[in-house]
Amino acid sequence: MPPRYLAAGLALAAFAAPASARPVSYAGGWTLMQDNNGMYSSLHAHYSPTATDSIGLYVEQNQEMDTTFTGLKYTRLARRWNAPQSQGNLYLSLGAGAADPFGDGEAQWGSMAGVAADWETRRVFVSYDAHVRDYGENESLSHAARIGIAPYVAEFGALHTWAMVQVENTPDADEPVTVTPLLRFFRGPLLVEAGYTLEDEEFLLNWTWRF
Amino acid sequence: MKLIKTLAIATALTLSPVAGSALAETPAKAEAGAGEILLAKVNGLVCDFCAQSIRKIVGKDDAVQKVYVDLSKGEVRVDLKPGKSLDDAALEALIRKAGYSMVSVDRNFAK
Repeated sequence: MPPRYLAAGLALAAFAAPASARPVSYAGGWTLMQDNNGMYSSLHAHYSPTATDSIGLYVEQNQEMDTTFTGLKYTRLARRWNAPQSQGNLYLSLGAGAADPFGDGEAQWGSMAGVAADWETRRVFVSYDAHVRDYGENESLSHAARIGIAPYVAEFGALHTWAMVQVENTPDADEPVTVTPLLRFFRGPLLVEAGYTLEDEEFLLNWTWRF
Repeated sequence: MKLIKTLAIATALTLSPVAGSALAETPAKAEAGAGEILLAKVNGLVCDFCAQSIRKIVGKDDAVQKVYVDLSKGEVRVDLKPGKSLDDAALEALIRKAGYSMVSVDRNFAK
C-alpha cells in the first residue's frame, strides 16, 4: 500500500464513522436500508430482537467485484456511549451467503465482515467503517470515513439536514480513494442521502426506513 | 444512472424544508383527573431514530398513555393512564430496552 494511502487511512481512522445509518434498531424494530453508489447497490432488510442485535437479509450487486451476494447478515452493537449531548456506537457485522458472479460462473459461498463506529451530536457527525468481502474468487477490503455538519438543529418530527463528506478507500478498485460530498435528510422514520462521487462521476443514493 | 439522478432530485424535493416544515409536537398540559406525568432525563438522544425508539418501546407499556421526546433538552415526558403507575426502575428498563440511558425522573414537575 503506497504510503500516501496508508497516511490517508490512518487520518480517516482517527475520525471514525459508518456508511450505513444505524444498522441496529430498538427491540422489535424492523429496518430497510438501501445503498446505491458507483461500486455497488445493496438492500438490507433486518429485524432487531434486542437493542443490541439485528439479523436480516442482505443482497448486494457489486459492480466492482462483478458479483451478486445474497445472504444473511448479523450486526452486533458492541458498545454504545450515551452522553447528555452525544451518542457513540461501535458495531460489528458478519454475513454469509451465496456469491454469484455475473455471467455464467458458478455461485460460491461468500462472506463478509465489518466494523463500524460513529459519534454524533445534534450538530456534528463523524464515522468510520471497514468491510472485508470474500465473494469466492474475489476479495475486497474497503473503508470509509465521514464527517458531517448540521446547519441547523431540528426537533423531532421536523426535517433534519446534514452536509457530509465521505472519503472511501478501496485499494483494489479502479479509483482507490474517492471523495463523495453528500446531503443527508432525516425526518421521522426515513433517512435519505444523496451525493456525488467526484472521481467515479457516480451518484450516491442511500435510504433507511425504520418501522 | 438516469434513474438514480431522477430519484435523487425527487427525494430532495420531497424532503425540502418547505415540505418538511412540521413542528415538534407540544405536550398537552396536565388536566384534573388525568394520570401521573413523569419527566425523565435521558442520555444519548441525538436524532429522530432515537426519539422513535423511545416512543415505540415506552409507548407499548400498558400504563403509558402518551410519550413526548424533547431532543433539545434530552427529556422524555411520559403521560400515564389514569389510575396507572410506573416506577423508576420500570421506566429505566424500558428506556434501556430502547437503547438509551436514563439519568433521573421528575415526578413533581407538573404539579
